[in-house]
Amino acid sequence: MELHQVRYFLVVASALNLTRAVEMCNVTQPALTKGVQKLEQELGGQLIYRERQLTHLTDLGKAVLPMLERALASTEAVRRRAREFRQEEVAPLTIGLAPSISAALVLEPIAEIRKVVPGLHVELREEPPSRLVELLLEGEVNLALVGDLDDKPDRIDDWALFEERYVAVLAPSHELAGLPVIGMKALREATILDRFNCDVAPKFQRLCFPDTLPHYNHRSSRDLHLQHLAAAGFGIVLAPEHMPRLPSLKALPIEGDPVWREVRLLVVQGRRYSPALDAFVKVARLRDWSLHAGSPLQAEHRGHLEASGMFARFGSPIS
Amino acid sequence: MNIELDLSKPLNQVRRKLLAGFSDTDRDAYAHLVDWLRKTDVAAGALQVGDTAPDFLLPDVHGQLHSSEHLRGEGPLVVSFYRGGWCPFCNAELRALQAVKAEFDSLKANLVVLSPETGDLPRQLKRQLNLDLTVLADVDHAVAISYGVLFRLPDEAKAHYAGQGYDFGRRHGSTEWMLPIPATFVVDQGGIVRGAFVEPDFTIRQEPSDILSKVRQLARSQAEDAAAFDE
Repeated sequence: MELHQVRYFLVVASALNLTRAVEMCNVTQPALTKGVQKLEQELGGQLIYRERQLTHLTDLGKAVLPMLERALASTEAVRRRAREFRQEEVAPLTIGLAPSISAALVLEPIAEIRKVVPGLHVELREEPPSRLVELLLEGEVNLALVGDLDDKPDRIDDWALFEERYVAVLAPSHELAGLPVIGMKALREATILDRFNCDVAPKFQRLCFPDTLPHYNHRSSRDLHLQHLAAAGFGIVLAPEHMPRLPSLKALPIEGDPVWREVRLLVVQGRRYSPALDAFVKVARLRDWSLHAGSPLQAEHRGHLEASGMFARFGSPIS
Repeated sequence: MNIELDLSKPLNQVRRKLLAGFSDTDRDAYAHLVDWLRKTDVAAGALQVGDTAPDFLLPDVHGQLHSSEHLRGEGPLVVSFYRGGWCPFCNAELRALQAVKAEFDSLKANLVVLSPETGDLPRQLKRQLNLDLTVLADVDHAVAISYGVLFRLPDEAKAHYAGQGYDFGRRHGSTEWMLPIPATFVVDQGGIVRGAFVEPDFTIRQEPSDILSKVRQLARSQAEDAAAFDE
């Protein structure tokens, strides 16, 4: 498989018209047809139906399209990066975060990207997951990190990065703070600090409070405010394990670890990747997220975290 | 396949030992896939000596990014594509490369091995094989495509590997089952390919001694060029 064959196929798939695709690729029609046919031979089937003026993708064509689009977008982004690096161009990257996703998660990836994209300008936007999907499709957000997502359009690429559990965050002076684990009965009787627009609230309701509402007396739209309330003894914050917390708070597991969620990376398919977006997607799909998550791998990495000083910054481990 | 391998022996001897451990089903699947790769002439589009190697930017197992321009900054760059941590021939090759890594270092050559796998798999492989080679993840196979060594597994091969419990879609973070042909390229500091070993028979790998010999030759000619320039 060669890059020019992939490029011809993607142009045909986007134009759905051979004459226009020939113009866009600036090649002769036989050259374009030969390139696509060679790709079809290697991929083991027809990619395009040709019916007079009409051109359609076959099922195979539709199946391979997203991966080939990403590969070509990445190749072109690497070329653009070299140019932008020399010209020190501004490279904006807007990252959408669901309310339950801490910005702490993206700090290391964006620090890494800044080394190779020095003009990086990051904007962090917090919105509910469904709104983030809209913003992605509108091009207002380049990528998003979300937790559970009920409904996702086909045009969105979606990778599960890691899985983490929810824990109870409370003041050391809280009456439950001395327990090794918060039992379900104790949780139902405790005051829970309520976060507006919490994307995980329905899951907690279903799994931990099926027959009753949590005792919500105090609320805020900001995690930091809730943590200050918890530190002052106003109640318990239910938080994902990766969430950084005030040094004055401690985290305890909930009996049976009933609530887990996957943290997912979302990007729109078929869009041109900027060098910064390309780099973020690559780093995100490879890095060891278990350093920040509550997965079983965490214990294995704890020594490394402590050694590297990251332990205190991310503060996830149950203390 | 759990076979004790003597990596002091050339890779072709290791290969024979691994092939001897094949079941009949493995042997049929192997013959079928290699035959298909040759008939389809998948390797015809691979980079050749004299071609310009496309630049890349890929993450290592720690999530740190490496650019090809930087990697060939001080000397030749050796780019080796492998199929994945599930492949015993790849693992034998990686261990053989690890055994001579110091020699690459002494020649100021950077050796990188490119994996089609994402997530935790390249990290696991490094740990399991105790490698300190630079393992980069070719996310979405973009580099394998630009080097002309990527192919989509035909249905028969897909069924064979699925039957062995391998899910390449999951391992690669993609819905499509694609693999690189194992290949090794030596790229000079100017980004020109000076050595290309591309073999559709995935059990045959370039001997590390042959790669080193190419790198030595390149280092020598670059040193001579530099001396001539100084004069």
